[in-house]
Amino acid sequence: MWEKKPVLFLLLATLAILVGTIVTMVIPFAWVNTEADRIATVTPYTPLQQAGRDVYIREGCNNCHSQTVRPLVADVLRYGEYSKSGEFVYDRPFLWGSRRTGPDLARLGGKYPDAWHTQHMEAPTSMIPKSNMPAYAFLNQNPLDPGYIRKCMKVLGFPYTEADIAALNGKTEMDAMVAYLQKLGTGIPKAAAAAVVGDLKNPFPKDPGSMQAGQQLFAQNCAACHGSHGEGGIGPELEPESYQDADLFKTIYNGITDNGMPSFAALGSTKVWQLTNFVNYRKEH
Amino acid sequence: MDWASVLYLGVTGGLLAVFILIVLRTCGKRNRSRLEEPKHRMLDDD
Amino acid sequence: METPPYNYAIVRSFIVWSILWGVVAVLVGVLISFQLVEPALNLPPYLTYGRLRPLHTNAGIYGWGIGSFFALFYYMVQRLCRTPLWSDGLARFQLWLFNATIITAAVTLLLGYTTSKEYHELEWPVDIMVVVLWVVFSVNIIMTIVRRREEQMYISLWYMMAALVGVAVLYLVNAAEVPVSLFKSYSAYAGTNDANVQWWFGHNAVAMVLTAPPLAVFYYFLPKSTGVPIFSHRISIIAFWSLVFMYLWTGAHHLLWTPVPDWVQTLAMAFSIMLIAPSWGSVFNGYLSMNGQWHQMRENYLVKFLILGITFYGLQTLQGPSQAIRTFSAFIHYTEWVPGHVHMGAMGWVSMVLFAAIYYLVPRLYDRELYSIPLANLHFWLVLIGQLVYSVSMWIAGLQQAGMWHALNSDGSLTYTFMETLVEMYPYWWIRAIGGVIYLAGVLVFIYNLVRTARSGKPAADAVAA
Ligand code: HEC
Ligand code: HEC
Ligand code: HEM
Ligand code: HEM
Repeated sequence: MWEKKPVLFLLLATLAILVGTIVTMVIPFAWVNTEADRIATVTPYTPLQQAGRDVYIREGCNNCHSQTVRPLVADVLRYGEYSKSGEFVYDRPFLWGSRRTGPDLARLGGKYPDAWHTQHMEAPTSMIPKSNMPAYAFLNQNPLDPGYIRKCMKVLGFPYTEADIAALNGKTEMDAMVAYLQKLGTGIPKAAAAAVVGDLKNPFPKDPGSMQAGQQLFAQNCAACHGSHGEGGIGPELEPESYQDADLFKTIYNGITDNGMPSFAALGSTKVWQLTNFVNYRKEH
Repeated sequence: MDWASVLYLGVTGGLLAVFILIVLRTCGKRNRSRLEEPKHRMLDDD
Repeated sequence: METPPYNYAIVRSFIVWSILWGVVAVLVGVLISFQLVEPALNLPPYLTYGRLRPLHTNAGIYGWGIGSFFALFYYMVQRLCRTPLWSDGLARFQLWLFNATIITAAVTLLLGYTTSKEYHELEWPVDIMVVVLWVVFSVNIIMTIVRRREEQMYISLWYMMAALVGVAVLYLVNAAEVPVSLFKSYSAYAGTNDANVQWWFGHNAVAMVLTAPPLAVFYYFLPKSTGVPIFSHRISIIAFWSLVFMYLWTGAHHLLWTPVPDWVQTLAMAFSIMLIAPSWGSVFNGYLSMNGQWHQMRENYLVKFLILGITFYGLQTLQGPSQAIRTFSAFIHYTEWVPGHVHMGAMGWVSMVLFAAIYYLVPRLYDRELYSIPLANLHFWLVLIGQLVYSVSMWIAGLQQAGMWHALNSDGSLTYTFMETLVEMYPYWWIRAIGGVIYLAGVLVFIYNLVRTARSGKPAADAVAA
């Protein structure tokens, strides 16, 4: 039959290909991005954010960073609330990625202050010495083109005002990138801050072993913002002996997330106590 | 049974039938030498 | 070789160019391997990892992979149909369009013009070049088949034709986008839909570019190299229909645990496991064809490449389905394990089979004997070792990384910060980079051997002239 008829064979092969295509690729359009998926708090990108997203695509950040949190214990602990379909309805293209050479960025918005991002993008190793992320300082030199961005917004059908466009004058690609990063994952309300449970009693008061562990943790997690000796930088100076242990623990555990101090609940309470000890009782020479 | 299950079973059964037909036709005695012939002919194309 | 006058010139040209792009792919692969251990090797803006990685994958899959398939399809279709190419002029045009497309692709990717979609990064004007290229190629192959002088179609032709329609359908659907300017467009689909369409495309690029064409090549060049026919043409037919039918259901195994509807993920998982059957149909067919011929593994360097190639294909099609299982995916997805999987397929299966086919052809195309069989053997060992070092180091790295990502303390908190897991990867990335250098050395030996063959190989004895 088809063994001798190439045209018939091509038709049959196409048919074989189309069955799975229709079931798993075409039909899901009936489920996805429908009313059932809608999340009222998810908004389109502003012109500045969209410009940042386009830079993200241009630089291929998606080759190292994913943007979906899976409903798995470790994923949720590390990155936050798992991703919902409705959060991505304005993403053209999607940027979920397939590799995590760097951390997931789906819930990045609000995690760090803007200044942290600028400094990190300019020179990642200046803040995270062992990072292998490339440096993107050149984004500071590239001004945005408001006219072109207006065109992009029109094609995407996102709302904008002429004032939004005018505000792009004098802004750089770095500003746009930071605006985009701060938007990521903020479409749904922040999960309630992890509650501290149990009475807040320091389990290892000033024990030297815990101080040393705390010193290491500080270098890894805090030095980028508070300086390697706690002298301050993006975050304020941290003066020893100036806190109540329980308050300090709470600050580190919960963060002051509205003001750019991240929550370190993911470290677990043991490590946060070690940090508390180190911050409060370290001796600087 | 609701219509979705009927459709589901129908499509699955249909596909299975097509598969079995292909296997029967390919492996049947009648076609054996004809369908194996190309593997010999491709060797003496010089 | 006199009657009928087959067009071998076009085969030769495509081989030369595909090898050139293959070298580019491997060189860039080595460069990005070193960038991961030494970020100072990133030279912004054009030569950063984020822009070079897509250049690597495109040069590998499209330049080296598809470039070679152009050559080998044009050779096989003429021989199997016992008829010259339908249009020499069109083929010539295709050669130049191919090179123009790859060059445009390389330049635009480094300039940052990209859609971000894996294996479909090229922006719309380059997309159009790709589509024209594919249409020209398909028409030429299909018309040659239509005008064939050999009534029955050998299995290689089946896989070739499936690849032609498969790539056409996949590429066109996934290319739907709305242009903003000459080098920028937005996908026609949004969010979860876009993801599902993209990985329907992505996984079937594996099927239609990295599986069907190399299978066509394998089924042709194995019997040609050993001198005995394949074990069963009928098994290959059943495996063929099952393979082209099932592959299309499996795209969502790249999206397990994401917001894509659960039932789509479950179907993908089930069909991925079923895919073992047709994949191993080809593997067994290859092995059984060696019945009574295994001594050729020692004597015939071509057979070594081909049998190792199909063995890696067999391993790849067991590993792939295991990765498609939800629980295992939860563990290894996003980790270094996946590049290990990818390169067993790319450097082991696809490249091994291509090396064999090119070794088979070059002496015939230039009417000379191969310059050096010992060098071919050296090439074999270098690429085999390079690839194993790459894949094995990445599998171990991936398992350790996954273990650390998921490790929890007794109080339910994470054991490791992200950076603690990252620094553990550096030793493995060094090993991978060294594996890449070994592989590169093998490729250079290959090229040296071919150049010496073409330039100064002994004129062929009658036995070799085909
Ligand atoms: C070579 C891979 C690589 C590329 C490319 C890359 N990154 Fe990263 N990125 C990393 C790694 C590794 C880290 C973790 C270490 C660090 O913070 O520097 C990271 C961290 C980050 C963080 C901090 C995340 C957090 O939660 O702490 C942000 C934000 C970020 N990258 C943004 C970007 C952007 C934007 C781009 C594209 C312009 C980009 N990255 C390109 C590897 C990469
Ligand atoms: C991304 C930058 C950043 C990182 C990382 C960071 N902090 Fe902060 N931190 C801040 C900022 C900004 C503030 C000021 C918040 C405010 O103004 O309310 C702050 C405030 C604090 C305060 C309160 C200071 C005061 O005197 O009121 C403490 C204590 C503190 N951080 C400890 C830490 C510790 C310990 C770590 C490491 C586990 C850490 N921070 C990591 C940015 C950071
Ligand atoms: C039965 C056959 C196969 C199955 C079921 C399969 C399955 C998979 C799965 C599940 C992944 C995703 C891994 C992850 O990110 O978690 C994957 C990735 C990949 N596979 Fe396979 N595989 C198969 C054969 C092959 C073959 C023969 C090749 C040829 C080279 C190949 C090349 C790739 C590539 C390139 C990727 C990476 C995609 C990306 O994330 O960019 N696979 N495969
Ligand atoms: C010396 C040889 C090679 C080296 C050193 C090399 C290196 C690399 C590196 C470092 C990556 C990025 C992995 C990551 O995401 O962390 C990569 C990705 C990739 N390479 Fe190669 N490569 C080589 C050969 C090839 C060849 C010959 C091909 C194709 C025929 C190929 C196809 C790919 C693909 C498809 C990916 C994407 C994988 C994914 O998405 O997970 N590579 N390669």
